[in-house]
Amino acid sequence: LPLVSTQFDLRTYWTTLRAEINQKLDEAIPVKYPQQIYEAMRYSVLAKGAKRAPPVMCVAACELFGGNRLAAFPTACALEMVHAASLIHDDLPYMDDDPSRRGQPSNHTVFGVDMAILAGDALFPLGFRHIVSATPPNLVPEPQLLRVITEIARAVGSTGMAAGQFLDLEGGPNAVEFVQQKKYGEMGECSAVCGGFLGGAGDDDIQRLRRYGRAVGVLYQVVDDILEEKMKGEERKEEEEEEEKKKGKSYVRKYGVEKAMEVAEDLRAKAKGELDGFEKYGEGVFPLYSFVDYAADRGFSVGD
Amino acid sequence: TQSPKQEETQFDFKAYMVNKAISVNKALDDAVSLRDPLTIHEAMRYSLLAGGKRVRPMLCIAACELVGGVQSQAMPAACAVEMIHTMSLIHDDLPCMDNDDLRRGKPTNHKVFGEDVAVLAGDSLLAFAFEYIATATTGVPSSRILNAISELAKSIGAEGLVAGQVVDITSAGVSDIGLDQLEFIHVHKTAQLLEASVVLGAILGGGDNEQVEKLRKFARCIGLLFQVVDDILDVTKSSAELGKTAGKDLVAEKATYPKLMGIEKSREFAEKLNKEAKDQLSGFDSDKAAPLFALANYIAYRQN
Repeated sequence: LPLVSTQFDLRTYWTTLRAEINQKLDEAIPVKYPQQIYEAMRYSVLAKGAKRAPPVMCVAACELFGGNRLAAFPTACALEMVHAASLIHDDLPYMDDDPSRRGQPSNHTVFGVDMAILAGDALFPLGFRHIVSATPPNLVPEPQLLRVITEIARAVGSTGMAAGQFLDLEGGPNAVEFVQQKKYGEMGECSAVCGGFLGGAGDDDIQRLRRYGRAVGVLYQVVDDILEEKMKGEERKEEEEEEEKKKGKSYVRKYGVEKAMEVAEDLRAKAKGELDGFEKYGEGVFPLYSFVDYAADRGFSVGD
Repeated sequence: TQSPKQEETQFDFKAYMVNKAISVNKALDDAVSLRDPLTIHEAMRYSLLAGGKRVRPMLCIAACELVGGVQSQAMPAACAVEMIHTMSLIHDDLPCMDNDDLRRGKPTNHKVFGEDVAVLAGDSLLAFAFEYIATATTGVPSSRILNAISELAKSIGAEGLVAGQVVDITSAGVSDIGLDQLEFIHVHKTAQLLEASVVLGAILGGGDNEQVEKLRKFARCIGLLFQVVDDILDVTKSSAELGKTAGKDLVAEKATYPKLMGIEKSREFAEKLNKEAKDQLSGFDSDKAAPLFALANYIAYRQN
């Protein structure tokens, strides 16, 4: 698909969608009594720097099969809600103990550990509820919505992201690969697959989206790790060692930058290979295709 | 408190409870199997299978059967409400929340598995509850399953369980709590999930709107009744009789019904709630309503 880079403008597509998603998320969490909990939920879900990659992937996958993006928006929002819930809990003192997230203080730093736990506990069900109550009933058959809910619940649950977080804390042999797959691949897979369900994709296409989404999710994180490593200067050695104790779970730390770059290239090729099977859908595949290059190259910046 | 009324003489409530608890325990055991990573699943099972009277699942099944449904239609939802109940207890017991070391006579989840795993086990149970309703419910149209998922999500999120927790936390140590606020806490912390249990059963069993709303009102009354009776027992019974520390609420300076309205008025209030609950059942077949009728009495006249 040599035309992709010249004819399709991912940046505009993404930026437009991102603004819509942000607005819908804002509307989906109105502040009620008791105020504190809604503020804690909004603080993380509406964080300024959020790129909204999972929602964009979900919408793009839905549109690939001729689905209406209006059918995908509630699920796209739900993905951000459950993702935020996971991140809030991952940041807690007895988990990753991260005082900040996306350049601002993490949820428990601002609202306290108790509110942070409850904010996460409230965001998971809000996501499920939002899918049921906000998806236009004429656009998606009910059994498909049940599949979407199942997919998201499985992705965040005890064999998905929660398992990834557990292995991240636990360590052990092959922890790096497992953690990358579960903590990051899972969200990518879930986003692409949900979009497929909403757009009416068949079983084979769903399997393809599964492998594509997982590869892109891991790719994104591996490249993040590489970029982070490159940005680090000598003067940060001490700080780094401190950090090393907490999170020795990136490809870069384990195998070095060069090997990580090889892994990234493999993932890029794998993700694009999966998309070859979607050529019959024409231009609809462009967003998913350029998404892979973005994950690998970061050719522009999204967010504020 | 008097002895149970004559209405339940023909109906063996104890046998009914024991019977249902056996089926529910078996279903829960099968639903949450030991998988990888083992520790998370062990933690989930540790709290989920720790006993308990299974009042919520029983309500769910009884409501389903009352409107003409069969037990198998409600069993996944019955398990789901117990999973949610369990996850809320696991998170409530954490040091940053109520900081409890014992639950149902056993060390609390975080005491055995650590705070990190306890948070993840709770999150996993929450997610799995939704996955389980979505995938394991049989013989029910998708629209009803979605409706049930939405009801459950509403009852446990920022408009339900979490709201009660937040107001409870933020009003601890505040001396001038009014009846309104006390009722808000109990309705959200206790009554909402009992209500969801009944409503889910009624929806999945094929109940019409009028039946669902009647049963919703029934559940609201017994949810509040449960708390009023709990408060009365706390001041009138000894620790030995209760099987837990008596007078705990007084020591903790928590607002209770006896404190705010006096023992006599609290008893009258309990009577009123019990009657109001039973009034909702009058339009149903009396044989089929017997379990719920007996359950209201059980809650009203229990001695511990």
